[in-house]
Amino acid sequence: MTTTAQPSVRSLETVELSKTFGGVRAVDGASATFRHGMINALIGPNGSGKTTFFNCVTGMIKPDSGRVTYRGRDITGKAPHTIARAGLGRSFQLCRIFSRMTVLENLLVASREHGRGRLLRGSHASQDVERARGLLARVGIEHLEAIEARNLSYGQQKLLELAGVLMGDPDTILLDEPAGGVNPALIGRISSLVSELNAEGKTFLIVEHNMDLVMSLCDHVIVFDQGRPIAEGPPSVVQADSRVLEAYLGV
Amino acid sequence: MSTTLLFQSLVLGVLLGGLYALLAAGLTLYFGVMRVVMIAHSAFLVLAAYLAWFFTTQTGIDPLVSLVITVPLFFVLGIGMQRLLITRLRPESLTMMSVLLTFAVALFIEGMIGLTWSGTQRRIQLGYSGSSLEFFGAQIAVVKLIAFALAAVSLVLLYVLLKKTQFGKALRATIQHKEAAQLIGINTDRVAGLGFGLGLATAAIGGTALSLDATIYPSLHWAWIGPLMAIIVVGGLGSIPGAAIAAMVLGISQSLLQVPLGTTWAQTIFYVALFATLMVRPQGFFGGRLAQRF
Amino acid sequence: MPSASSTAPDGPGVDSTLEPGAVRTAPTPLPPPGGRRSLAVRIARVVALAVGAALVLAFPALAPNAYVLSSGVIILSYAVLATSWNFVGGFTGYISLGHAAYFGLGAYGTGLLITKAGVPSFVAIGLSALIVLLIAVPIGIASLRVRGASFVIVSIAFVLILQLVFQALGSITGGSLGLTVPRPFPGLLRPEHHRVFFYLFATLLVFVLLTWWLIDRSRFGTRLKAVREDEDKAESLGVPTRNYKLVAFVVSATSTALAGGLYALWFGDLDPIFQFSILLGAYIVLMALLGGVRNVFGPVVGALVVGVGLEFFKVNFGNTQFHLVAVAMLLGIVVLFMPDGVIPAAVALVRRFGPQAASIRELSAAELAERERGVRAAAAARARPADHGASAADGDRDRPHEDPRTTGDQEER
Repeated sequence: MTTTAQPSVRSLETVELSKTFGGVRAVDGASATFRHGMINALIGPNGSGKTTFFNCVTGMIKPDSGRVTYRGRDITGKAPHTIARAGLGRSFQLCRIFSRMTVLENLLVASREHGRGRLLRGSHASQDVERARGLLARVGIEHLEAIEARNLSYGQQKLLELAGVLMGDPDTILLDEPAGGVNPALIGRISSLVSELNAEGKTFLIVEHNMDLVMSLCDHVIVFDQGRPIAEGPPSVVQADSRVLEAYLGV
Repeated sequence: MSTTLLFQSLVLGVLLGGLYALLAAGLTLYFGVMRVVMIAHSAFLVLAAYLAWFFTTQTGIDPLVSLVITVPLFFVLGIGMQRLLITRLRPESLTMMSVLLTFAVALFIEGMIGLTWSGTQRRIQLGYSGSSLEFFGAQIAVVKLIAFALAAVSLVLLYVLLKKTQFGKALRATIQHKEAAQLIGINTDRVAGLGFGLGLATAAIGGTALSLDATIYPSLHWAWIGPLMAIIVVGGLGSIPGAAIAAMVLGISQSLLQVPLGTTWAQTIFYVALFATLMVRPQGFFGGRLAQRF
Repeated sequence: MPSASSTAPDGPGVDSTLEPGAVRTAPTPLPPPGGRRSLAVRIARVVALAVGAALVLAFPALAPNAYVLSSGVIILSYAVLATSWNFVGGFTGYISLGHAAYFGLGAYGTGLLITKAGVPSFVAIGLSALIVLLIAVPIGIASLRVRGASFVIVSIAFVLILQLVFQALGSITGGSLGLTVPRPFPGLLRPEHHRVFFYLFATLLVFVLLTWWLIDRSRFGTRLKAVREDEDKAESLGVPTRNYKLVAFVVSATSTALAGGLYALWFGDLDPIFQFSILLGAYIVLMALLGGVRNVFGPVVGALVVGVGLEFFKVNFGNTQFHLVAVAMLLGIVVLFMPDGVIPAAVALVRRFGPQAASIRELSAAELAERERGVRAAAAARARPADHGASAADGDRDRPHEDPRTTGDQEER
């Protein structure tokens, strides 16, 4: 899990990715390679372009130029659902769930059955429901299955969102500030979930501000500043990098 | 088409465009301050026209004088609408529900106009109704010129208000980013109310201008809301200059097309432009980020 | 589409920390648990369905005169229109105020195919619906590129432009003079004519309801409903939202067109103002919203309520502007106070009065008496001087009995 050797399997890569809003170069020629099988972190001060980069990679925003590839496949500018089906799942910074659907239904939306023939079959097919229940149990909210998602607490919604992402069985999971707005106990829970899933072979890319979480959990850290990566490596190396300190302190 | 006819159509188009621009600016205001699509805007327009007609037929005074009553009245009505109706809607579905609510208001106004003054078509006859001025070979009806002058003056006043006054800055800030405006101390609720009032005031002016020249009837507002909606989508939801420019362009196009195609077909230009905008640039041609997913 | 997550202050289970700015809303009361309750509900539903079907079947026989029967036909047509609308409104959350466009297209298409091309009546309905299907694809692609208010605007624009075009093309469509569609069964007397079409519309309604129900319970439906909740989130989970929305849109338009075609055969007289009518579009939306868009029968209920109301107004107040005012006020009330529909609002109202009343009823007399005893004992204990060395037995007696039901209620929240 914590090897630093160059992996032979390609994961998520970007080449000279750029996106400009008005006069602001949010992402400026960002080239980055994320490590397969590892827990990658994307950190950087506010305004460094992390979220825009994240959104470009996941298809929410079309980049102006540059390329995004996943497993060697070009996914630049593809629609979010295509990217999701290619094996990239993502969570949102301000946790997004389907408020007026039940917890179980929230997961059933993400079921993997996409064939046209199967679309009109009942949504509560037993294999989907079993998988969903399994995931709910894994994150610890299986007892809330029949409750409308809007009645959950924020922390529970975060877990629900994670379970929903897992339902699509992605190989790589991108988390946008998973520790945002939750108490330490829940951060710990999410953290151990990430570790477990990583041990099972899932690659992670986490955008985070919580340095304790990043340093303890992540294997490979990429630091963003002014729209592009400025440093990368294991947490200990990155922590000591003077360029990183400069970026954060604005010195 | 002869050059005089072409020129005449062009001039008429500009005059029409000016009126469209004022009304579209008002429509944009509601959307800008509160993300409300005010379908009742044209109904208020027609109501103002009826009030102007009623004023003239009852008092014999020029309908333009009725502006003294209708503009403040509509301004207050606008604030009232925002306070009493719009604020009652749930924030998540505000835009959708506001469409339905203002639709209901439009129907209500149409019904009330019909009940009060019956469905008979009305038209103001003034001393100068028939006269026209000559302008480089083109015959321009005086009433159209007055309507345009009214619209132009109002637009200039609106521009000055928005760009040069403190309130105008607060209004623009609220339109651009409500939360940020709140953070710097702007009372966005009050601004929104005043914005609504301004929007309805433009309807009052536009309606009075309209009454000079048009035959009015209760369901007339449907003929206006379509083109106006198309204009603001083409211009870009939330952009006042965008709305004004789109209004001009489309007004002129409509006028130019009237000669070869006739009135009915010429009106289709708005919808053609709307669908073209959707396919090519859904957020509108001058629309900022506001216009994107609304 | 709206995506703000609302949170309950304390959800059952895990601790929570609210993120600043998260919206707190009063959580909806949980439905009562228990298999017995849901079985009763299921039986009630089947019974209601059977009764409803029986009433519909018997209506022509029960109707006192031909006019009432024709009103029944109109209301059934409203029910089909509202349910058809609900494929888009209910599933995707996109509100179309111009749905009369497809009604008019279906009607005129049928009429023109019969009068100009000599197509047999009922074949014309099908063919016309097919044409509408083909038209709805590019229109849907264009319209669905925008959301929310822009989509509404586009839907209005479409019906308005059709109104213009059909009026302008007078030579083909008869323009403002209208188009007369020959009756398919010319020998029938009026009451019989109404009766036949009553059952035809009822059959169409059954098919449309069945389709809606099928989609509702399917994977396709669940994913569509996710689009309604949060379109971008659904897309990020792998739902091809553009295609799915388009399918719902086309199904809706086609179904509406079928109703239009049937109407053309029944009514026989078409006019651009009445066929491509924004008012009709408003009625449809009102009916669906009033009845509730999340339930298969919601639009039917709405059609019944609004339809009966409209007919009532027509009879008593004639075609004055008053019915505009009435519809406007009704729509306003629904939007302001019952945006989820009359049924959910009524249910919520009942539930607000319900649980407290229920829990009092659930406590038997014996339990109430015990509670009283416990409270009195606690009061007496407090009056006695503090005695920390009290024996366990004494302590047990003194502690007021915790009513298991009260803690149970707590946990239910």
